[in-house]
Amino acid sequence: MPSSIATSRSLPSSSERPATVSAVRCRGVVKRFYRYEHRTTSLREFFVRAVTRRPQYRRSAEFSLMGFDLTVGCGEAVALIGPNGSGKSTALRLIAGIYAPSEGVVETAGRVTAVIELGSGFHPELTGAENVRLYGALLGFDPAALASRQAAITAFADIGGFIDEPVKYYSSGMQARLAFSVAVCADPDVLLLDEALAVGDQAFRDRCLARLRELREAGKTLVVASHDPVMVRTLCDRAVWLDHGRVRMMGPVHDVLAAYEADTRRSQERP
Amino acid sequence: MTARPPVPTPFRSSASPPRAAGEVWRFRSLIGHLMVRNLKVKYQRSVLGFLWTLLNPLATVAVLIVVFTHIVRIPVVDYWAFLLSGYFAWNFMYQVLTSAPLVLREHAALHRSVAFPPESSLLAAAGSRLVEFAVELGIALVLLVAFHHRAVPASYALLPVLVILQVLIAVGLALGIATVAAFYADIQHVIPILALMLFYVSPVFYPAALVPETARHLYAANPMAGMLTLYHNVLYEGAFPSASLLATTTLAAVVVWSAGYAIFNRHKPVFAELV
Repeated sequence: MPSSIATSRSLPSSSERPATVSAVRCRGVVKRFYRYEHRTTSLREFFVRAVTRRPQYRRSAEFSLMGFDLTVGCGEAVALIGPNGSGKSTALRLIAGIYAPSEGVVETAGRVTAVIELGSGFHPELTGAENVRLYGALLGFDPAALASRQAAITAFADIGGFIDEPVKYYSSGMQARLAFSVAVCADPDVLLLDEALAVGDQAFRDRCLARLRELREAGKTLVVASHDPVMVRTLCDRAVWLDHGRVRMMGPVHDVLAAYEADTRRSQERP
Repeated sequence: MTARPPVPTPFRSSASPPRAAGEVWRFRSLIGHLMVRNLKVKYQRSVLGFLWTLLNPLATVAVLIVVFTHIVRIPVVDYWAFLLSGYFAWNFMYQVLTSAPLVLREHAALHRSVAFPPESSLLAAAGSRLVEFAVELGIALVLLVAFHHRAVPASYALLPVLVILQVLIAVGLALGIATVAAFYADIQHVIPILALMLFYVSPVFYPAALVPETARHLYAANPMAGMLTLYHNVLYEGAFPSASLLATTTLAAVVVWSAGYAIFNRHKPVFAELV
């Protein structure tokens, strides 16, 4: 059976840990996906290839991330920017522990909560409140901790009586509000956001930004993948510009955004 | 920037993945939630609701009883009692096996957006089937005790052991099937065919004693045959099974479960990318 992961990892010794507390560390992270050009499809072919010792498949590696290094300190807010397909979401999934790195090491400290594909995990037939309970369990809460947070989540989402209606009757904005509320009320140490604020009305966005600032003041760490320059500027200290799986630039958010926007303009001018 | 409070929890590293077997225990409330969700979603929009879980197998049982007592006569006293003692265990097995290739894909959105042990969704699927099985078994027990034995046989004390063996075999196979299905979607078309064959080579609607002497050894290689014979011994005959049958079936169940779990564990880091 083909496994699309080649593992070459090393355990970091405790002496390697830096003196300043960091919340996320990615070192030399490579994420390969494979595109299969040929795969054994019949049992006959399988046996023929097994006997003649020819490989069962031919594949080429597609790199999503190539040598990604990032250290995020506790309480820092870092933005990942770059065009579609540059590896932002893959980086977030690796940090969240959803994907395993092909090479390199990803380390995180504390509770990591990711808002990726906002609300896609909701079951349409269940009510908002039922989905919130399910999501809480997914994030690893015990029932008592969840019960005490349910009220806060409902209040933050502010979708009124819809909380007891099946999610399939929600507008996309309401779904996003509920998903976002679960994530921010989950009290994460590290919060990963993927285009999370692209939906929702202005009032809700303002409330989200205020909430995210509160989290930062409380020493929480943020990693945001976003196309929204306003949000990135107001929320983040540092930015990482990803381009085809490589870090093109890393530094203060204003510098990186300025360079990225200049580059985007240039490529639009010469078609 | 002001000084931040240090994070108390130790580093979690991709070199020591969080999705180790022990992690499942931490997510036990998730398994409970997913079980409830499965049952709710399945019956929510139907008027009869949970009753459907009974009507479907009971209808099948009724047909089998009519066919095998009036048309093809199977020489068993109280055939209905014989059928009831094993059929629901078989039905549990069948449901778990045929849904196994689909479970990871059904939960694809969750696996892609949250890091949690992927076996949770499989265990929850088996768990919600187990709830349905418990209700079916309850009805079978009442009928068997009231109209077949007219007393509660001492052998019924073994029932929990049989249920555990049944769950081990079913979940072990399901873990293996789900792993293969993550790589090859074809398996979802293969399993129903295999399950149908398994129905005929397992003693579901006929007693294993009818199998010709010469084929017995081959027949016993199917762990399902041992399991169903145990059910017939305990529930229908009200007798304690032979120690050797109990031992070999237990061994088979442990082997199936360990093999399934080993295969699943080896490949589960990539499930989020595949489903």
